[in-house]
Amino acid sequence: MFHNSSQGKYWILKNEDDIEQKRCKANQKFRHKILESGKPGVSESLFLERHEEDVLFRHYERRMLDFCNAFKPAMPKSVVGTGIMYFRRFYLHNTIMEYHPRIIMLTCAYLSCKVEEFNVSSTQFVGNLLQETPAGQERVLEQILEFELLLIQQLKFHLVVHNPYRPMEGLLIDLKTRYPALENPESLRKSADDFLTQATITDAGLMFPPSQIALTAILNSASRASLSMESYLNECLGLKEDKETLSKMYESMRRMKTILKKYGLPKPEEVNAYKKKLERIHAEFASSNNKRKRGYEEDGHVAKEPRLTEEIMSDEDML
Amino acid sequence: MDDQGCPRCKTTKYRNPSLKLMVNVCGHTLCENCVEMLFARGSGNCVQCDTPLRKSNFRVQLFEDPTVDKEVDIRKKVLKIYNKRDFDFPSLREYNDFLEQVEDIVFNLTNNIDVENTKLRMEQYQKDNRDLIQRNKVKLSREQEDLEEMLLQEQTVNEQRRLDLLQEEQRQLQAKRKNKQALLDELEKSHVPATILLAQHRVRAAKLETEIEQQKQAVKPTNLFSTGIHMRQTVSLQPVPKIEEVLYQYKALHVETYGPLVPELEQLGRLGYLNHVRAAMPQDTAGGYTSALACHRAIQDAFSGMFVFKR
Repeated sequence: MFHNSSQGKYWILKNEDDIEQKRCKANQKFRHKILESGKPGVSESLFLERHEEDVLFRHYERRMLDFCNAFKPAMPKSVVGTGIMYFRRFYLHNTIMEYHPRIIMLTCAYLSCKVEEFNVSSTQFVGNLLQETPAGQERVLEQILEFELLLIQQLKFHLVVHNPYRPMEGLLIDLKTRYPALENPESLRKSADDFLTQATITDAGLMFPPSQIALTAILNSASRASLSMESYLNECLGLKEDKETLSKMYESMRRMKTILKKYGLPKPEEVNAYKKKLERIHAEFASSNNKRKRGYEEDGHVAKEPRLTEEIMSDEDML
Repeated sequence: MDDQGCPRCKTTKYRNPSLKLMVNVCGHTLCENCVEMLFARGSGNCVQCDTPLRKSNFRVQLFEDPTVDKEVDIRKKVLKIYNKRDFDFPSLREYNDFLEQVEDIVFNLTNNIDVENTKLRMEQYQKDNRDLIQRNKVKLSREQEDLEEMLLQEQTVNEQRRLDLLQEEQRQLQAKRKNKQALLDELEKSHVPATILLAQHRVRAAKLETEIEQQKQAVKPTNLFSTGIHMRQTVSLQPVPKIEEVLYQYKALHVETYGPLVPELEQLGRLGYLNHVRAAMPQDTAGGYTSALACHRAIQDAFSGMFVFKR
């Protein structure tokens, strides 16, 4: 359960600033690494700024979501949620300039299928890359397997992710049982589901416990239907005497809603411009990149022959 | 093994149960008859390895594997020379090294590994340590004598005790017989009625019996247990000191969930939660599943960590 999970212990951060700080640090670290390596013709302007990084990150996250939603056989929501959480956790301490999000997002989805016991074989998995030729799929699969261990290591081996979906089911059951004042709790489901889907592609999962997200989703849905559920918090959740917790809860919900509202789709022209930059960075530092991403192999964990030619695929090839 | 037999005449224990196998220093077997025949002149060569042997060195094979006999023989010889003992060494480590050396030599000689060198080594050692060997030999023989003396002593004590017991029994038997004779005599001579005499006799017999009994019991207490421990010796009979400990007290496990209280699994039905979840199919329940399990998990997840606020 969440209260004694690694998620609660290590992956719930204080606020947006805290998260942003970590991402900035990763960005800075990469810059220093490249500048110190003393490659000729490297200038600061080459690198992606934080906001540019963010745009691309959101773009690739969106792509990942689309990939998961189009996945056959249909992927359960918890698999998608876990995969996206991996993606976010990974780029909390790493930058897209070092590890290309194109392959990391597939690795996240692949790992999430395994962890959430959604049984697809690896060939079946890459079979969902409809734009790829069978040979190309094979290549992608090899890359996924190559990055998988690195991903697990970067996730600090905390593979269990608590998604807000089950808590929402629990809350609905609780509502039906203990809160007859609400006439049709099922009517809240649709809009609450949308809320949770929105929440997965924000940092909400890195800041709030899943039960809080689920509660917020339901209360949000109720307030949209202009239903008041204050008495549920007071009576059923026992917050009547605990005004402090109650106010903190409202505060939490408000913050969550602002985060969700702030989210905007990345603009295509921005994405295209930054993508060119990203590709250049990856082409420029490909050699050092390759070495680094095989870091776990150097540790002796995996003995695999390095491939001679690493073909760089374009995004369009893959999806 | 039944097919143990003489390699020369091919007689086996099965065919000749009284077959006696003999071994000499080389570790090869021969039956008694063959030994008599081949070594009639007192010496000859081994049939199998051509080692020159003497008839007097043949001994009865004690172990199934003749190499064990050979090893025992060799060990006896080696230990005659390597007879240092643990207090001849400054440290246990050195003594152990010495013992290992002895084992090496025995092994080498038994398995015919590097025999020449090993023999040279032994001779060298013998030369170097002649005094010590002699001294230890004397010491050992003295100890042997002591041991034998002790055994003899014990034997005589046992014998003495046996004799004592025998004598005692004889005496008792005699006393009884005398008693009976006295009764007969009295019945013959006296004028007192026979019944009274009989009664008197019975009393006397009973007295004798109890006396014997008492004597037997008096003999019993010795000051030695059969194990040789002195009886008077106090073998601390006090109970092992009790360790006073605070008794374990069960405390129900309390898990902080940082959220509203979750109803117990057993109460879900009573509280009406189960009316709102999908009922378990009969085929699900076979494995022990109940709808309450899923319901409980959902509610636990819904409440777990709900009041965690990190800012």
